[in-house]
Amino acid sequence: MQTQTQPKHEAARNPVPLTQLVRGQRGRIECTDSASDDCSVLRAMGLRPDASIQMCRLGEPCIISLSGACGGGCRIGLAKDIASRVMVHIDE
Amino acid sequence: MPTPTASQIVPIRRIIAVLGNPNVGKTTLFNRIAGIRAKTANFPGTTQDARVAHVRLGTQQHAEIESVLIDLPGIYSLHLDLSESKVCAAVLAGTAAPAGEESHIPDALLVVIDATNLMRNLSIVGESLAKRLPTVVAVNMIDAARRRGIHIDPDKLSECLGCPVVLCSARTGEGIEHLTAALSNANVPDRSAPTDQLAIERWANDIYAIVSMPADQSTGQSTDDKLTDRLDRAFTHPVLGIVSFVLVMTGFFWVIFKLAAYPMDWIDLWFGSAGSWVGHILPPGAVHDLAVDGIIAGVGGTVIFLPQICLLFFLLAMLEGTGYLARAAFVIDRAMRPFGLSGHAFVPLLSSHACAIPGIMATRAIPDRRDRLATILVAPFMSCTARIPVYVLLTTILFPDRPSMQALAFTLCYVLGASAGLLTSLLFRSTILRGKSRPMALELPSYRIPDLKSALLLTLDRGYIFLKKAGTLIVAISIVLWWMGAYPRQPERKVQLIAQMSNELSPEELKQAYASMREQESAMQSELDIELARAQARESFLGRIGSTIQPIFAPLGYDRQLTVGVLASFAAREVFVSTMAVQIAGTDEVDNEGVLNSIAAATRDDGSPVFTPATSWSLLVFYVLASLCLPTLVVTAKEAGGWKWALLQLGWMSFVAYTGAFIVYQTLTTIGA
Repeated sequence: MQTQTQPKHEAARNPVPLTQLVRGQRGRIECTDSASDDCSVLRAMGLRPDASIQMCRLGEPCIISLSGACGGGCRIGLAKDIASRVMVHIDE
Repeated sequence: MPTPTASQIVPIRRIIAVLGNPNVGKTTLFNRIAGIRAKTANFPGTTQDARVAHVRLGTQQHAEIESVLIDLPGIYSLHLDLSESKVCAAVLAGTAAPAGEESHIPDALLVVIDATNLMRNLSIVGESLAKRLPTVVAVNMIDAARRRGIHIDPDKLSECLGCPVVLCSARTGEGIEHLTAALSNANVPDRSAPTDQLAIERWANDIYAIVSMPADQSTGQSTDDKLTDRLDRAFTHPVLGIVSFVLVMTGFFWVIFKLAAYPMDWIDLWFGSAGSWVGHILPPGAVHDLAVDGIIAGVGGTVIFLPQICLLFFLLAMLEGTGYLARAAFVIDRAMRPFGLSGHAFVPLLSSHACAIPGIMATRAIPDRRDRLATILVAPFMSCTARIPVYVLLTTILFPDRPSMQALAFTLCYVLGASAGLLTSLLFRSTILRGKSRPMALELPSYRIPDLKSALLLTLDRGYIFLKKAGTLIVAISIVLWWMGAYPRQPERKVQLIAQMSNELSPEELKQAYASMREQESAMQSELDIELARAQARESFLGRIGSTIQPIFAPLGYDRQLTVGVLASFAAREVFVSTMAVQIAGTDEVDNEGVLNSIAAATRDDGSPVFTPATSWSLLVFYVLASLCLPTLVVTAKEAGGWKWALLQLGWMSFVAYTGAFIVYQTLTTIGA
């Protein structure tokens, strides 16, 4: 079985907080540095390591799309407090 | 083997649990299969409930199959430390069942997943497969997926999962027949999934890669996507978001208050007629008074709120169906976070403006326990509709013939209640419920046209639950309150006369004498009746208790009559107006302008006016802040998980109300108002 876990472009070696992405920028989740309860909920919601995300709206709330295209599929709103603790590798 | 006859057919009852992530259209699918046969049932000992329906899905061999469909709460995982996840896990293990059903390991599982978000949804499928139960996977919203250009191969997915996979759309009805057929023949999957979370995530990624061909992103966003993106940015914008929120909420309350007024008038009229009809049929006496003043008046006073409660739930369901509420929760989260409440508290507090009971019940959706408790404790501070008659009376007394000032005072009451709630939350969150409010992480469902059928079914269900409560608990409270106000009986001349006459006269003469006495009474509109009613109010158990504890309320400016009004309100606050009317005017027909005027002009035992400006303001503040609703306390105890929370709520609200009213009265008296 072939996996899709390898990112195509991995420009940034070091992960940055989700809040540093600009609108429309894509990335891959590195880890979620939240309290353990929050972390397991976020993972179950789809914010798991290596998941591909796109920033749809910055600020409070920060809105990301999990399906890759803003608007479609699964959109998750995150309080800034949580978003700043989610680390991502930015795609180019 | 001979074929069994109809009488030999043994019915089989299969339990089918419906499982899935939130916002995958699970309930719409459930309603599509179950129709109006479903009912809501609570999981005993928890705050979770499920919809349950008994349906016949088909036949297997020669036995008719009755299936019990259980629509479980939407969850992201069976293994989270959340109440809804624990309930679902317990149902699958056969250790929990909705009230009225037997705990039993389900005979089949229907896992509903969202075609537009397959990868994430596959995790719950993996967790379900590990249960080794006959399973069918419904890939819902396939129509929306097609519009986005997402293609899913059901055969490949079925092969990977080892169980039947049906592409369907609960909204259009596509694939539902296939789904019910697959459910009646479900078997244990011939493949399994890993049990470790990391391994399940990898497994989901691998399957997704095989079965899905996502939309070509180079072609740009679809029209749906662009619209969603624009609406989201507007609805969560710091300024536009608040403006749209205010507009939506104004419309929401306008509809509730305006539209509900018509059916409320009809109900009022109906109970009024029922009261007079029963009053004419029953002979005067205790049974007559119990039926008319206790049961009919008590139930009527509660059922009158049914239209508001139904409209509230209907509009909430419709709003939720549009997807807007999740966005509104974020807008309100910014405002409430400094007070220790999260955006999750928005719907409960909004509902509490109609009635605190559905508001407190809606706190079940708040994931964090401390957030939930704080919301339950502050919900009754929101001005509910039962306070409105009291606000109307007092603002009219304070500002006669000045409607603009009445409206301003009315608004101030709402603001005072909400502010007291926020400050209470701040206090509790820094003491007994210490800790920051959990920051919000919420899935924002796609914008949709709400499903009218689901909203109507939910409304019917909630209305029924409310009526059931009105028919049990509230009847009991009304009877107790009536008894305390009506006993001990004052010597009634009428009764004595009838007893005397019945010994002396023939039945025919007695009838005539009774009729002529009635005519006389109505012609005289007897002063005696009013005096008797006032004496009854004064000398009843409630009146005596009022006289005894009046000194406690004296610093707030309340005399014996007002104290009795406040005491009677402990069962339900709207009772205040009718209690005052009975004490002062000797009638509870408060619609009569003359009665309102006589309440306003009422005097104390020493001849001074009951309602001075200071007393009226003090009463108004007291009614905004006090916990004067026994049913709310019962619901608080149930939802918060113990009477200590209900007692805390009662104690704290009484303290705040007393202190507030004391400060207002003493200040206004000092400055000579």
